[in-house]
Amino acid sequence: MTARSQFNYIGKPLARKEDRRLVTGHGRYLDDIVVPGALHACFVRSPHAHAKILGISVEAAHEVPGVVGVFTGKDLAQWTNRLRQAPRIEGLQPTEIETLPTDKVRFHGDPVAVVVASDRYVAEDAAELVEVDYEMLAPVASLEAALAPGAALVDDALPSNLVSHQSFSAGNVEARRKEAHAVVEATFYQHRQTHVPMETRGCAAVWDQGREHLTFHIGNQVPHPLRSALAGRLGLSESQVTVISPDVGGGFGQKIALYREELTVAALARHLKQPLRWREDRSENLMAASHARENLCHTRTSVAADGRILGIELEIFEDFGAYCFYPANYMSRVVAMILTGPYRIADYTFEVKVALTNKCGNGPMRAPMAITSWVMDGTIDAIARQLELDPLKVRRVNMLRTADLPYRMATGETLEDITPAETLESAVASIGYDAFHERQRALREEGRYIGLGLCTVVESTTYGSAFYKTTGIAGSGHEAAWVRIEPSGVINASVGLGGSGQGYETALSQTVAEGLGVDPSMVRILTGNTDVAPYGMGSRGARGGTAGGGALYLCAQKAAEQVLRIAAHRLGLNSAQELRLLDGQVERRINNEWTGTGLFLTDIARTAYLDPTNLPEGVAPGLDFSLTYDPPPMTYSNSTHACEVEVDTRTGRLTILRYVVSEDCGTVINPIVVRGQQQGAIAMGLSGSLFEQVVYDENGQNLSATFADYLVATACELPEVEILHNHTPNKRTPAGIKGMAEGGVMGAIGAVSNAVNDALAPFGVAATHQPLSPQYLRSLLRGRADRNRQEGQD
Amino acid sequence: MSDKRTITLTVNGTTREADVEPRRLLSDVLREDLGLTGTHVGCEHGVCGACTVLIDDKPARACLTYAVQMEGHEITTIEAVGEETLSPLQQALHEEHGLQCGFCTPGIVMTFEAFLREMPDPSEAQVRDVLSGNLCRCTGYQNIVVAVLKAAAVMREKRP
Repeated sequence: MTARSQFNYIGKPLARKEDRRLVTGHGRYLDDIVVPGALHACFVRSPHAHAKILGISVEAAHEVPGVVGVFTGKDLAQWTNRLRQAPRIEGLQPTEIETLPTDKVRFHGDPVAVVVASDRYVAEDAAELVEVDYEMLAPVASLEAALAPGAALVDDALPSNLVSHQSFSAGNVEARRKEAHAVVEATFYQHRQTHVPMETRGCAAVWDQGREHLTFHIGNQVPHPLRSALAGRLGLSESQVTVISPDVGGGFGQKIALYREELTVAALARHLKQPLRWREDRSENLMAASHARENLCHTRTSVAADGRILGIELEIFEDFGAYCFYPANYMSRVVAMILTGPYRIADYTFEVKVALTNKCGNGPMRAPMAITSWVMDGTIDAIARQLELDPLKVRRVNMLRTADLPYRMATGETLEDITPAETLESAVASIGYDAFHERQRALREEGRYIGLGLCTVVESTTYGSAFYKTTGIAGSGHEAAWVRIEPSGVINASVGLGGSGQGYETALSQTVAEGLGVDPSMVRILTGNTDVAPYGMGSRGARGGTAGGGALYLCAQKAAEQVLRIAAHRLGLNSAQELRLLDGQVERRINNEWTGTGLFLTDIARTAYLDPTNLPEGVAPGLDFSLTYDPPPMTYSNSTHACEVEVDTRTGRLTILRYVVSEDCGTVINPIVVRGQQQGAIAMGLSGSLFEQVVYDENGQNLSATFADYLVATACELPEVEILHNHTPNKRTPAGIKGMAEGGVMGAIGAVSNAVNDALAPFGVAATHQPLSPQYLRSLLRGRADRNRQEGQD
Repeated sequence: MSDKRTITLTVNGTTREADVEPRRLLSDVLREDLGLTGTHVGCEHGVCGACTVLIDDKPARACLTYAVQMEGHEITTIEAVGEETLSPLQQALHEEHGLQCGFCTPGIVMTFEAFLREMPDPSEAQVRDVLSGNLCRCTGYQNIVVAVLKAAAVMREKRP
């Protein structure tokens, strides 16, 4: 790692600062915060997928001792504004969401009323007594139903359920198709999943009538944008709202949007002038928090005889659910924009169709573009199967090399400082590609079926403002930081991120330490309080390291400049050029040797705060610095995943035998933290591909409301992940940081599917759907004999 | 449902009283009535394991237990582990990066404090088998397994 020699504190495997409180049970999560006198909210949820609300009777609930009030959508409409989602994007329909529905419910779990009581048990009792009179409407329970002619409308304000439709074309795919040796078609269906943070959602709202101020406690990834949304929807100014995000028990994208329940709790705390809190139970979380994924992709690829891709056509359909908490084009559009990833493909078209259905609304989940690499590398495997070529050779013939970079993708995105060919070669070498195939042949003779799957990922991270601008999405990709050296020489620093377990207190303190020249133990990172943190865009899109760490690194450098200027003055030097700070001491370069001056940061801090008349001319007292930083339009990391599986063809049981990943995520801030993110992302991808599925029946009833129905992988099903390092700094970001932690999901989904299809190749079947459950694999195999073995036996 | 009764619980070696309805869950009594918020509630149906405490030294789900059932039993929560210095298991989880968001961690600590007393030299497969009773969404379990095996080794060495 070249990065290590260059830095003093970045790249060190420091154990996490935040662990001590967490392993002893002294973490402070939302529900651990005591709010004296707080009332409790419980939501009444729709048992139907699609129904008109004819009436709601609340009297029986009101009579329960301890109930303070029962409120419906009509009440909330007086106190809150609707959510309007209308960025100017061609083909995207504007949508509006009421705080609670007044006219009709749109999915099983839609909140129709809320009970406020002295105690959570009482609130739940009373919620059972709220009676809602419904008139059933035809449920729109699938993509096909949503897009069928004459389909019932999920959102009555729209002309159809097709809420977003974009297309794009570069080059001439039709000409490529005509000149192709073959045209290969492939299908990929990624099922509906949900985030499952171990801590469910919740919030506590405290309205101060005297100051007319709302303090809102909520575990959230983006405290500042959340505050803006909350203030806007309540008709308050941003000065009247403080958002405080404590320790967060996992977010994975679920804790970004301002949800209707949270807005309701805030509005009611203000209306009732009493503190109010809500904690979602697990069944509510699985049913109604936010869902993700559920997309269907088709590729049609024109190829030469050697497997070279001449042109590719992509069609994506996404089932977006009932409500748009995000612009509906957002997630699938990114898939389409980066599809071609590590491959040299100039002729490319895509068409993206997003439909509303009577299911829980979709949101981004760790790697919202998760399906991308499965679709691309699954297409490569489909080419190899159809042309009877070695899939590795097909990858090699198409893959971008260092000499091709920077490479302008057909969609206009620029790839630079990536190393897909290198990660591919190191992954196949490590997993023993050639030896594997000998073993595979031998085992097939015994009736055992192993498979090897590859998947190369180009991971889009840290979307800069320019990306938002070009895609028409409102908002910014910049991040903000401040660094304050206190009079004693300790450092407080803050950034607009909202952590949910990523180890920010440790890794971000290393970026400050690096920029300034102090030991990370001297740095305290303060996040998650909008009165304390600067207005930043928060944690999402793998931007914590590059945008957050980058902003802090630059801000700390700014601080170092001032510190050294003061140091030069104290040392009687004309310039600070030959000075640096290391481990808190000012060092001076004499004859190319760095020597301590005996002057420490503590001395400088004392002068800056307590002896300002001794500062150099033009330097103001104090050591308080801030800046904002806007990353490049997009930053890319890359990796290759190699996965070996065995499929028991009698039962459909899938076992992961080995998992290797070679990753290039640029400069690593803390290798321990990065390894944890890699392992976690791969685990989420595998768990999702193998087990997790939100199941709706044909009437739109959600059948997965407990962990007995919605299966999350346990320690027995997940493999040990072997990680190979291959880190190339990004030349355009501070310290060469790239961003990571979503690519693991992308690669896992593709690698495990490709491995299964390799294992099942003798049966002439290929999985096109996930999850790769035993039932599904058995259904593929039923009646299919191993052609090779049968021929051998005949 | 307001027929409250006073119950006496022994928690972490101390006798505590609480005025509770018979239906009140042990997890809620520990967290809300006794202020011991280290026991986390992740699913309230006994699958995720975040609420694991020890009842008479054996791991149990606090979210599936009524507090009134606990009279005459000894309850141990995460607050009793590593008060002064981290236990070998907590230390190993820290060193091996066996936690990220930390929400599931107290349940995992309680599960394996009990397990390692009964099984001082477990195999990886045994650790994974027991760990399958606790869901973790962040880590992929790999580092937790390493940490438990490391803690076991440290504890074996310390034994006379």
